[in-house]
Amino acid sequence: MSRPKVAFFDLACCEGCQLQVANLGEELLDILGRIELVEFREIMSENWPGRYDIAFVEGSVVNDEAEERLLEIRQRSDILIAYGSCATIGGINGIKNRRPIAEVQHAVYGERIDWFPARPTRALHHLVRVDYSIPGCPVYPPELIKVIKAALAGLPYVVPDYAVCVECKFNENVCMYDKGVTCLGPVTRAGCNSWCINHGNICYGCRGLVSNPNQAGAKEVLRRYRLDPDRIVDKMTMYNAAMER
Amino acid sequence: MDQQALLPQARLGEFVAFLAARQKLIGPVALGYNQYKFAEVTSLEELSLDYLPTILPPKKYFLPYHERLLSYDLSDGQGMEPVVEVEDITLFGLHTCDLAGIQCLNMVFSDHPRDLHYLTRKHHMTLIGLECTDYCDHYANCAMLRTHLPKGGYDLFMTEMNDHYYVDVNTYTGEVLVREADLFERVTPLALKELRSLRDAKKKIFQNELPIRYQDMPKLFDDTCDSEVWTQVGDKCLACGNCTNVCPTCYCFDMADEPELGLTRGHRVRIWDSCQHETFAEVAGGENFRGQRSERQRHRFNRKFHFPLERYKRVFCTGCGRCSRSCMAGIDLKETLNALIDERS
Repeated sequence: MSRPKVAFFDLACCEGCQLQVANLGEELLDILGRIELVEFREIMSENWPGRYDIAFVEGSVVNDEAEERLLEIRQRSDILIAYGSCATIGGINGIKNRRPIAEVQHAVYGERIDWFPARPTRALHHLVRVDYSIPGCPVYPPELIKVIKAALAGLPYVVPDYAVCVECKFNENVCMYDKGVTCLGPVTRAGCNSWCINHGNICYGCRGLVSNPNQAGAKEVLRRYRLDPDRIVDKMTMYNAAMER
Repeated sequence: MDQQALLPQARLGEFVAFLAARQKLIGPVALGYNQYKFAEVTSLEELSLDYLPTILPPKKYFLPYHERLLSYDLSDGQGMEPVVEVEDITLFGLHTCDLAGIQCLNMVFSDHPRDLHYLTRKHHMTLIGLECTDYCDHYANCAMLRTHLPKGGYDLFMTEMNDHYYVDVNTYTGEVLVREADLFERVTPLALKELRSLRDAKKKIFQNELPIRYQDMPKLFDDTCDSEVWTQVGDKCLACGNCTNVCPTCYCFDMADEPELGLTRGHRVRIWDSCQHETFAEVAGGENFRGQRSERQRHRFNRKFHFPLERYKRVFCTGCGRCSRSCMAGIDLKETLNALIDERS
């Protein structure tokens, strides 16, 4: 049986998720034994002119050029996997959507605004069909491997629709709210094994909000812990602004 | 062999070292911020025996949150092998509420269909209890459920007194521990007297925290099914699932197959699930029969105070207070029950 042809692409992003793939170590060797890697700019120079069985796309769509590129990748791929916050929810790039596009362009490009046509940030699923999503900034390696297995086996993968708190409790971390810090764990989708909180950081909501977040309840929690409600709005829009449509 | 013994307090360290040398020893350790968890220890110094209920109850050793049930191999037909991940563990310093929680889980997993994974693991546990002489904090409601007193479910049970621990020996394993440790003394009439006065003092401290008998709870829930209280609780709830994950008697789980990269071999696992999650009651076709947070919270309370009384003649709340303590939104079990009682009257 021939191995599936797999390619990795990037749009507007820091390419940090590709780095996570390149850094998988021994598990990367196991994966390479199961696939035929045909394009991956960060670790090889070859290109592939034919069809892709699986295309991984990192980054969000911020201009027409990226949109055309994404449409072409979609056309040439049987399975398209969006990975990283930028591709799945717009991520940090979405911050610019909070202001009129002309204002943002002017702030960045000044007089040369015409040289760099831009559009509001969009996640991949806003433009094309996405078969699998792996959220996270960067992606959490065990989840990445889980999705690769699912894609190879033709099985679905569903990003958990429950809070990071669930996995955080499994790990028995002292709750950030008990430490007097605002944390987005209660409204952010799990699947990362509370990666950041395990290492003493807060949850920044990089995986996107749960499908039905109780925003009024979350503000009430902040009031209860005497924390500034505006701070949670700032934190929520850091990664999730492009999802507000 | 007497069914009771005394352990001089000065020799507790030696007893802990004896237990740790025998098999894996688990006890409460401090995490800071007045929070605790059960973890492996080898000496008395690592333990925090004066502790608030741990973040997760001891159920994590009986029903691990991620547990392999079987391994499969599809390379030649449908090969399947059951797997029981098991090791000998001594749990030390368990409060009576947590012992009650384990008793509840024992009932559930012994019920038809018997859960062999759970029951096999249970036989590898040695349980050593430790009596509370005062409330841990204001969240506890153990007196209402009479779980502030030892009611079996342990191998040894220790009560701290002036110079000694009064130790109740409840099983053959307990007898062996007392004999082999060679640190215990015979119970004296004075010690018995001291235990009685300690229990008398507890009667004054631990009084039913709520103006209701637990036997009357099912009626309360029948009467308040459509109460406004549930709407208010639902408005606060973030559906994070903390209350069920930290509950000593919540046991709902999900199942999944986890293949290896080759896809022919893999494991079937079970993972804790929670009735508080948005998708818990979602069924084929997208219908969700508990789509509202208020309905899910009401369900949780019914699963503690109503349904198990009918099925097992036992309340599945141990009074440990973990659900209230871990709720960021401040949904408090005692407050909620009081609100229901107030509304009815």
